[in-house]
Order: sequence, then C-alpha cells, then structure tokens
Amino acid sequence: MTYGTDVSKPKVATSEMGKQGEKSRLAEFGNAFVAGGYTMYPVLLLLIIVGGLVAPRFLSFINIMNILEQVSVLGLTTIGLTFVLMIGRLDLSLEGIVGFAPMFAAVMLVSEAAGGLGIELPVWMGLIVALGTAGLMGAFNGFLVVKVGLNPFISTLGMFVLLKGGILIVSGGRSIYSPGESLTWLGSGRILGMPVSVMLFLGVAFVVGFIFKYHSYGRALYAVGGNEDAARAAGINVDRVIWSAFIFAALLAGLAGILLTGRLDSAVTTQGNGIIFDAFAAAVIGGVSLGGGRGTIVGVVSGVLLIGVINNLLTLAQVPSFYVQASTGAVIIIAAILTTVASRGSGVKTRT
Amino acid sequence: MDNVRPIVEMRDITKTFGSTRALRGVGLTVMTGEIHALLGRNGAGKSTFVSALSGFTPGDTGYLRIGDVEVKLDGSNYAPRIRDVIAHVQQTPQLFPLLSVAENLFLEHDDVRGAFGMVKLSRMNAKAQALLDEWGIDIRAQELVSKLDAGTRQLLEIIKALSRGVPVIILDEPTAALSNAEKRVLFDQVKRLKAQGVSFVYISHHLDEIFEVADTVTILRDGLVVAPRADVSTLDVATIANVMMGETTVRSSREDHGKAEDAPLLQAVDVRISEKSTQSINIDVRPGEIVALAGPVGAGKEDLAMILAGQQNPFSGTVTTPTGKMPIIGFVPTDRHESGYVGMLSVRENVSIGGLDVMSNRFGLLDSRKEKALVERLTTQTNVIASSLDQAVSQLSGGNQQKVVFARALCRDPQVFIAMSPTRGVDVGAKEQLYALLRDLASKGLGVIVVSDEEDEIDQLANRVVIVFEDKVVDELVGAYRMEDLILRMEGVT
Repeated sequence: MTYGTDVSKPKVATSEMGKQGEKSRLAEFGNAFVAGGYTMYPVLLLLIIVGGLVAPRFLSFINIMNILEQVSVLGLTTIGLTFVLMIGRLDLSLEGIVGFAPMFAAVMLVSEAAGGLGIELPVWMGLIVALGTAGLMGAFNGFLVVKVGLNPFISTLGMFVLLKGGILIVSGGRSIYSPGESLTWLGSGRILGMPVSVMLFLGVAFVVGFIFKYHSYGRALYAVGGNEDAARAAGINVDRVIWSAFIFAALLAGLAGILLTGRLDSAVTTQGNGIIFDAFAAAVIGGVSLGGGRGTIVGVVSGVLLIGVINNLLTLAQVPSFYVQASTGAVIIIAAILTTVASRGSGVKTRT
Repeated sequence: MDNVRPIVEMRDITKTFGSTRALRGVGLTVMTGEIHALLGRNGAGKSTFVSALSGFTPGDTGYLRIGDVEVKLDGSNYAPRIRDVIAHVQQTPQLFPLLSVAENLFLEHDDVRGAFGMVKLSRMNAKAQALLDEWGIDIRAQELVSKLDAGTRQLLEIIKALSRGVPVIILDEPTAALSNAEKRVLFDQVKRLKAQGVSFVYISHHLDEIFEVADTVTILRDGLVVAPRADVSTLDVATIANVMMGETTVRSSREDHGKAEDAPLLQAVDVRISEKSTQSINIDVRPGEIVALAGPVGAGKEDLAMILAGQQNPFSGTVTTPTGKMPIIGFVPTDRHESGYVGMLSVRENVSIGGLDVMSNRFGLLDSRKEKALVERLTTQTNVIASSLDQAVSQLSGGNQQKVVFARALCRDPQVFIAMSPTRGVDVGAKEQLYALLRDLASKGLGVIVVSDEEDEIDQLANRVVIVFEDKVVDELVGAYRMEDLILRMEGVT
C-alpha cells in the first residue's frame, strides 16, 4: 500500500451512505420519535384509557383540571431542573428554593402580628422579592460551581439544607396565611375558568421548549452538556452557560413555589417537601440524560404528566396512601427502564 | 547465560484499528542481556508493536514467545499469562497520584504481603527507601506521587518495572520527561541490569541515546519491519534516517502563498509557556503561510498552539496583532473525540455551534435558513459525507468526524486557522482532502498553524517549521528545507 494508490481511491465513506439508506423508514421514525421525547406518550395514553375504564370520574373535566393544577408546580420545578441536567450538572437546592423564595417574600410583606419581619413591603413587591430571592440563590449556586469549582452535588446539597433551615429561621417555624395577592394570584386565580397556574406551566413549557430547539442559547446548552471541551473549542462561553442554567433553574423553582403558596393561600414551612425527587424522576422518565446533552421539554412534560396521572389514579382507586408512595417509586423505575431501553434501541446513548 | 535461544520471539504480528492496519505482519527477536532499540517515525507502529508484546493492547494474529511462555495471538487478552516475564513502561506514567511512592512501587508485590492480605507497612517503606537510595533519588518513600515532578514520576515508573525482577523490560520513550542527570541515572541502571542478563526493548526519539545504550536495532515503517536486527555499530545517523523515511512516494506537495512583506496576523510576544520555559518565544503568523509546530510529544508545541488559539493562558507574555484588532481564530483541537465534536448532536448542530452568533438574529433566535445554507456550504467545502445533515456525528467515520470539526472551525470565517494533529486517525483519502483544504485556506490569505507529529504531514504542508522542545523554540526550518533535516530535527539531532 503506497501513498499514491490510496490517494486515487474514491472516498471510503461512501459505503456508509449505502448502509444508512438500507435502514427502514420505520426505524427512522422510531429514532425521531425517541429523540423528540415522545417515548412516554403512548404509555400516558394507555394509562388514561385504563384510568377512564377503571374510574369514570377520572376523565371528568374537574379531575383533569385538578391533575393539571397539581402538576404545574412539579412541572415548573422539573423544567428548571432540566436546564441544569442538560449541561450535565444537578441542582438539589431547587426544593429549598420552592419553599424559601415565597416564604421569604411572605415574611417581608405581612405585619409582625401575622408572623412577618415587620418590614411590611407593599403587596405588589411580593412577586419581585420572591423571584429576586430565587434568582440570587441560583446565581450563588452557579458561583459555587463555576468560580469555586465545587461539585454541584455537594454544593447544592448544602444549599438545600441551608435553605430548609432558612425557612424556619425567617418564619419562626410558623406558616404565613394570606401573604397577599401578588404571591397568591398566580397559584389560585382563574381566567375563563382555566387555572392561571396551568396556563403558566404550559406557557413556560412552550417557551422553554422553543428556546431549547430554536434559540442559540438552547443549542449552547446541548453542546456544553454533550461535550464541554468541544463547546469550549467551538468558542462557546461555557462558564456563562453553566452559570445561567443554575439561575434559570432557580427562577423556575421560585415560580413553582409561588404557585404552591397561591394554591394553599399560605406560605407553609413544609412547602415543597420531597419535590426534588419527583422532579428528577419526571426528568429521567421524560428522557433527559443525567449525563447531560440530551433531553426535550416535550419529554419532560410527559414525565411530569405521567407522575401526576399515576398519583391521581392511585388516589381515585382508593389505594391506601402508604401504597401510593411505594407504587410511584416502582413506576419511576419501570419508566426509567423503558426510556433507557427505547433510547438504546434507537442507537441514541443516554445515561439515566 | 543462554545466548543461543532468544528470550523474545515475535512472528507475523498484525493489529488493525478500525480501517487502519497499524501492524502488518511484524516480527522481532531479542537475545538475553541485549538492549534492542525499536526505531521508526511517528505512526510507524512502534508503540502498537510493544503494546502487543506486553499484552497491553493485544495483537490480532501472530505468534509470541517470551522465555518459556508461548502465546498464539487471536485478539483475546493474554497480558495475565506473560505478566511475570515482561514489564512495560509506557510513554505516560501509570501511577496512582494519591498513593505514596512506596505504595506505588510495591502495589501487588509479594514481598510486602503479610497474613490475611495485610500490607507490612514498615517493611514496604524500608524497601522502597532502599530502592530510592540505590537510584540516588532524593525523595521520601512516604511522599505522595502527586507531589512529584514529571521527571521523578517517570523515573518511578521505570524503577517499578525494573524492580519487578522480570527478564524483559520495554521502555517506551523513557527519557521524554527526564533531565540530563536523571537520564544518566537511568542509563547506569539499565546497563547494570543488562549485565545481570535482563533484556530491554527500547524506543526513543533521540538517536544519540540509541547509539549510547542499544546493541541492536530494528526499524519499522508503516507497520512493517524494514530493517530487522541490525547491529548498532554498523549504522550511522544518515543511514537510519534514510531507512526510516523510505523511498520517495507520490504525494501532494506544499505550496507557498505567503509574502514576507505582509503584516503578521498573529504574533506571540515574549511568551513563556510555563515556569519551566527558560527562553521566551516570539513568532509571527503571516497571511498565506502554513506554519508547523513540531517536536516531541508533550514538549510544548501543543501548549504553544493552545496559547496562540486563546484556549490557554501563557505563563507570561502576550499574543497580539499589529492592527490591534484580534483576528478571528478557527480552532481544531488535538483529540476530536475528547474535545472536537459533540457525538450526540447532528452534523448540522456540530457545525453551527462554531458560529451561533453569526447565524442567529439579534434576539438570539437561530435563523434556520441561514444555518442550513452556511452548514451546507461548509460541509461541501470540507467534503463531509453523511447520510444527511441530521445524522449524529458519532455515527460518522473518523475522517468525516474530523471534517465536521474543520467545518465547525470555519464557521465564523476565521483569518487564522489553528489545527492540532489535523489528520490523526484519519484514512489516507480524507487526509489528502484535509491537506488540500488547509492549502486552499492559505491560498485565500488565512494564516494557518498546524501542530503535527508526522514528518510527512509537515513536509507536505508547512512553509515554515518551528521546532519546540522543553517549552522553548529550539530551531526553525524555512522555505525549501529537506525531509531529512526535518526528521533529524524531530529526532532531537541538531
């Protein structure tokens, strides 16, 4: 084999094209289906049909709205978490932010008699304070990861515990009732009979889904998560992408907390307890790779809906509440297996 | 001493990586108590060959005998069977940085094993200290390996292999990270062991070392033996260079588009790569020229390229330009799998992450029509062959992956193009296409910098070769330099 003869040879890669062409159209559709995040929708549909047969009440308009209203808090948190998972990091502190951001805003608003700090900011400031607090938390998370170089597991775990304690400190361990319209309207208001929280969840899902797909920021997220070094070599400001992902995640968790406060018409000290586990489960079920670089909002929404529907069905079927939790866990494992197997079949690598 | 029957016999060893036939039926014979040097240019197959010998990367077919152990190669792992007869010191130390020197030296060593698998700590430390003293290395046995400098680590790796008491030892570029004093220590110990009947297979880029320590030489080229078992005393530098180079083959040749009067696009001013650099570096890159950075692996050329590309900060000095406005730089990193492409993403997405700002509107929304047009133009320019632009890059062949990385680097219309190991692991056809592309870029007035370990590649591309060694520029070849000069410079002969 001399140099000369090889140069004259045609391109080696043409054989690859032939191989690709042999792939059936069905397989290609399957790949697109999995890559688009639609894997769990048939399962969801099946559950809804079965649910409708088992418990007729399940398909009533009121119940469906009820499910959507319940999942909107989890949905916003999960979408937030997806930002961070997308870049191959994680953020446990989101649960703390769901509780802390609205609680801090509430104690800034209400009078000392109602459990506040005695600052009594005007009511319209509530939303700004809550989201501002959440954003600051996210910025601090990003700082610890990007600038200090901490592993996000440990730094956000620390923040999680710190914020849980912070909730008790600022509230003195008591819940704040009726913290004001600006903190409660989003979670309790209705427009034309439709809960504002549901519209907000779907709206955020749509906008973030759009950004992930069509915005240069979304593309940068996928690139950083897929291969950080390659993203850096391509000239992407990797640190800024990581930092901003933590901020977006925290802002959405703060918004989720505000919805929860609105639904309960009070900032409760135990608010959001356990939500981070459901958020991880929903993200993974929805096909988001914990290794980064893979996932869609379409998929995340399916994961969130699946968890909501299962919880609702088990309750309607009058399964004792102890069993509800255990069965949710079992469903998470089964769904994660399904997602992994489906993406393996499509030749798409994920790490769940 | 049994000098009749060789201690190592290898016959017809083959090894294929993907579409590259790294070894095409190679044999080797080493006698007891002999230092046998393996020579060949980068990519000739030396490291693959010795890895097949030690079982580190098992060969595909062939026959191997070391001492009394015989192996018929079939691609399966045979390293455990020859573990007691051969030691392999790799180019890069394989040590545990968070264990102590003593622990690294006596890992899995019977001498320090007590009852119930307990390690006899004091015995281990004493033995390790004795070894260190014998080698004249001034460190404590309890020191953590992560605290040691590169040279000491390399020496430690060698001590570890030499103290295992095996009859055959492979040293693959053992002196790359060593100072002159450390080299002397190494050569003394190697000669001492040789006198005791230990055999060595020795790879080095420094021909002067070969003449100093080796008895016999085997030369490889393109995965074949071209000179089996020659006595080192019958050879001289020129002969070796000729054999390594081979006959002149038909291939493309370099073009010169540079003009000396043009202002440089990029300048390194008083750059020191690391605190080790004893001299600062000043180089210019002019429009239309292809500059190659060459020299031993890890001796500074990679760092210099990263500094010029703005991917790494120099220890001191600056990278500037006379116009004051820094040029746009297209960058192809060394290892495309590690830092070149995003395997999960499509060809289109991989190319466009190189220029997200140029193909999105002022709100940052990607203009899909603009993206499609640009990606199509760039992938055509770089000859990417894929079933569609939406195919994942991980599914492409090595050559096409590299072309995608090139297309990505061209995304923002760069004025300077920096490509590290531009054709590593790429088949010959794609190689020529990438060479043509690089020449084409230079002819369009780009300044091109290529980092390469391959003399052939440099010879076909570069109008100017900057030799980097020990973090400083030691030599420069300009204009109509000869291949022979290039090879000798890269082998450390000046």
